[in-house]
Amino acid sequence: MEIALQQIVNGLTIGAFYALIALGYTMVYGIIRLINFAHGDIYAVGAFVGFSTYGLLALLHVESPILTTLLALVVSMGLTGLLGTLVYRVAYRPLLHARLSILISAIGASLTLEYSLLLIYSPSFLVYPHLFGRAGPSFAGVSVSWLQILIFVSSIVLMAAIYFIVNRTKTGMAMRALAINQDAARLMGVNVSRVISFTFFLGSTLASFAGVLTGLYYSQISFLMGFLIGLKAFTAAVLGGIGNIPGAVVGGFMLGILESLAAGYYSSRWKDVVAFAVLILVLVVRPRGLLGERVVERM
Amino acid sequence: MRNVFAVATLLVFLITGMVPGVGAQGATIKIGVPVPLSGGNAKMGTDIVQAATMAADEQNAKGGVLGRKLEIVSFDDACDAQQAVTAAHKLVDAGVAAVAGGYCSSAAIPASAVYHDAGVAFVADASSNPKLTDQGFENVFRVIGRDDQQGPYAAGFMTKDLHAKKVAIIHDNTLYAKGLATATQDALKKMMGVQVVFFDAITPGEKDFSATLTKVKSLNPDVTYFTGYYPEGGLVCKQFKDLGVSGKLMAGDANNDPTFIKECGAASTGVYITSTPLPQDQGTAKAFISRYTGRWKQDPGPYSALEYDSVGVVINAMQRAKSADRAAIIKALQATSAYSGATGKITFDKKGDRVQVLYITYIIKGDKFVPTGM
Amino acid sequence: MKTRSGQSRPLLPTALAAVAVAAAITLPIFGTSYLIDVGTLVLVYVMLGLGLNIVVGFAGLLDLGYAAFFAIGAYTTAYFMVNNHMSFWLTLPIAACFTAVSGIIIGGPTLRMRSDYLAIVTLGFGEIVRIAATNFNFTGGPEGIYDMPHAQIGAFVLRTPAHLYVLGIAFSLVVLFGSYNLSRSRLGRAWLAIREDEAAAQAAGIHPVYYKLLAYVLGAIFAGAAGSFFAVKLTAINPSSFTFIQSVTILMVIILGGRGSLPGVILGAAVIVILPEVLRGIDQYRMLAFGVGLIVLMLLRPQGLWPSRYGRIEAREVALSEAEAHAGVAAGASAADSAATGASS
Repeated sequence: MEIALQQIVNGLTIGAFYALIALGYTMVYGIIRLINFAHGDIYAVGAFVGFSTYGLLALLHVESPILTTLLALVVSMGLTGLLGTLVYRVAYRPLLHARLSILISAIGASLTLEYSLLLIYSPSFLVYPHLFGRAGPSFAGVSVSWLQILIFVSSIVLMAAIYFIVNRTKTGMAMRALAINQDAARLMGVNVSRVISFTFFLGSTLASFAGVLTGLYYSQISFLMGFLIGLKAFTAAVLGGIGNIPGAVVGGFMLGILESLAAGYYSSRWKDVVAFAVLILVLVVRPRGLLGERVVERM
Repeated sequence: MRNVFAVATLLVFLITGMVPGVGAQGATIKIGVPVPLSGGNAKMGTDIVQAATMAADEQNAKGGVLGRKLEIVSFDDACDAQQAVTAAHKLVDAGVAAVAGGYCSSAAIPASAVYHDAGVAFVADASSNPKLTDQGFENVFRVIGRDDQQGPYAAGFMTKDLHAKKVAIIHDNTLYAKGLATATQDALKKMMGVQVVFFDAITPGEKDFSATLTKVKSLNPDVTYFTGYYPEGGLVCKQFKDLGVSGKLMAGDANNDPTFIKECGAASTGVYITSTPLPQDQGTAKAFISRYTGRWKQDPGPYSALEYDSVGVVINAMQRAKSADRAAIIKALQATSAYSGATGKITFDKKGDRVQVLYITYIIKGDKFVPTGM
Repeated sequence: MKTRSGQSRPLLPTALAAVAVAAAITLPIFGTSYLIDVGTLVLVYVMLGLGLNIVVGFAGLLDLGYAAFFAIGAYTTAYFMVNNHMSFWLTLPIAACFTAVSGIIIGGPTLRMRSDYLAIVTLGFGEIVRIAATNFNFTGGPEGIYDMPHAQIGAFVLRTPAHLYVLGIAFSLVVLFGSYNLSRSRLGRAWLAIREDEAAAQAAGIHPVYYKLLAYVLGAIFAGAAGSFFAVKLTAINPSSFTFIQSVTILMVIILGGRGSLPGVILGAAVIVILPEVLRGIDQYRMLAFGVGLIVLMLLRPQGLWPSRYGRIEAREVALSEAEAHAGVAAGASAADSAATGASS
């Protein structure tokens, strides 16, 4: 029993990361129908910017782990958020109506980000400062660390913030309007480009938050770290219903738990096959994803 | 107009880019170094090229070989079979006298067929999968040991020194790691009183192995042996301790990099690593290390010394054969006997493997690899 | 956008085509083994591109897991040649069967889906095939299958790069011929109708799922053929050639070249293979240059290097969206102000 609980805890942890990144995919897809291949690499950039911030603060002899972490998060989210909008402006905006060409541009952006990180930092992986140990409460034989709890709680808080922004603010309404019909929204006075930029900004801040937390929790960052997790997060977004914000969260956690249970009870090397098989099954039975999609079919 | 311009530029670009690299042997003697320079293994590739360059430069400072200067020609094989084959063709066409390098076994093995067809010597510095030399190509040599030697050695250490009764083996489904894992499992199967309770793979590129390690924990192993590469190794080490898995953790020689210790932090103390002796523990390598750090301002990688010796062995062959002809180099390499390299004495057996490869086990203490008393 | 260049001067493309054909024919005679090897690789991507072109270009389905069929063809040929000592030619129909069946299995339930769900499902299928190939013993695990015998025509063994290149030309011509005929057939027109407006096509009596499935299966078979050729060329295959990145690369071939356009696919294959080779001189920056190059290429020429007629329509749409983007910023800004003062929230 405790093994099962431990696996669920494991799954929720990785699921939180998936969910944070999946939100960026789902928001962008909801608005402009683009699978943003570069989004996983934004997550990586966030981790590296955080790393540099820690380094800089260390040089300035700032000691407190809480202060440095807060600063690293703020700096990373701000800068990486802006980078996300820059990528949109440069690589995506001119191609919004060319569905396949914009995909290639996204792939190009992804490669550019990855190999820029390689050249600026290192081809090898970098190690984050070991700031927070693994101390934590343990119940029913399951070990949880405070850091894990922090990750889970802060992810939920951030996702709630996104939900709030999208559903309770004017900009959020503009985002939803764009998702339904871009031309009508423009006619209603929505500054399409600015709203899309903001969407990219939001998604990128979440991804970079996940990036810094990855560095803190796993201690390891590398220039290709965004590739695999980006794929998984996109899968999670689709699982929950693409374009659906709560769906991305549900999809993320579900995928994390699914993977954990598959690895724990079936086989580690087959877990991704299980995850994809379940995804395909879910989509066949519920073609709109678990919570249903929020993107109108465009004719 | 824009279209014409774009297409024309493209054409010019393509044509000019394809032409260089095709040439006969000129005044320099070229040695090919195919390694991953992009992708996840880029750092290893860079370490290897740096070592090769250093070896060539040192020889050039002594007047080169047969009065000609040495030139290192390195191409990216991206650890991919097809790219390795293409890189191999390119090196052959560039007129290399011999090839010394390679990292991933999965790239080296297909490429070795190309070198074989072209009659070019291929000295592998880091590809440890047995199949490379088992193919029976007379032009293939190997300076590193074989995984089917390391496996039985590891099995022996686990049972005799660590008294393991239950062993968990984790690999990462790459050619090298699975090969080492299988060799270890096979050796353990032949022994009495020990059982392999877990044999499965994690996915490289991922970071979270807690699900797999939780499963391992539930099996209560005495020793867990991780045979993958050090980026994942460091993560496995950290999560192994965090989850409180029982028993000792051991890792294969692809984890003999200091960043493994850095990644795992304080939890790495007490972890065992099987490996050929690291350069710092071989008297022969001390000079190499100081020259390398002096030149490149960074520590040598785990395979730098081996690459340095691979190039050295080729140079030595050329000197003995008094020729830079490809066939002559192969013949001379086959006759290599007790060449004094940074990694010790090198002699090749009939298959091209290095004889008397020594494996030892390190234990991590503080932040260093310390050899265990054998 | 200058529409003048849309009605292009026929001279330049024809001249390019002539040069390309001449190069293709003389390569095995005058080329070095490296150049021939690169040329053969281009041919592999031509075949793959033409196959995916049926799925993406003709039928408009976004397939992100095409490498799966490539893998199935390659492994089938490799397995039977090594284990059953079958002749290469006999493995071809078997590979065609396996790829067709797998196309039906995966396509059947999923082609009813929205096109973008198809993308993730095909991606998943691609990964499932690759991971299965890495895990099963009969596929050789991560080592794959190696030591394959060469293909033979009677007693003549196809061993040298030049031999394989000529074999590749033969395969490519067959695939090219098939694609050309398909595009001109009733089938091709049905696909076009579905791609442009699925509801209208259905109203006209074209059953979308059936035609989509047909496109998907035909594409699968072409990929299988390419895989068989690839296996016998390398004489050793392992799972690392069939990753998601491979699927994306094949997609890039047709988008770069101009989807739906046959000369475009050939050009795209050439660029995808040759560009990274050209960039070998700057190995450290190779991938960075490639990434930037892709963005620039798409910004400059989103319809691809050699677009079909429909690509030019798309180019005009892109120009429209550029104009909109600029206008929209100004119009949106002033309209937002007036909306803010008057409208409710």
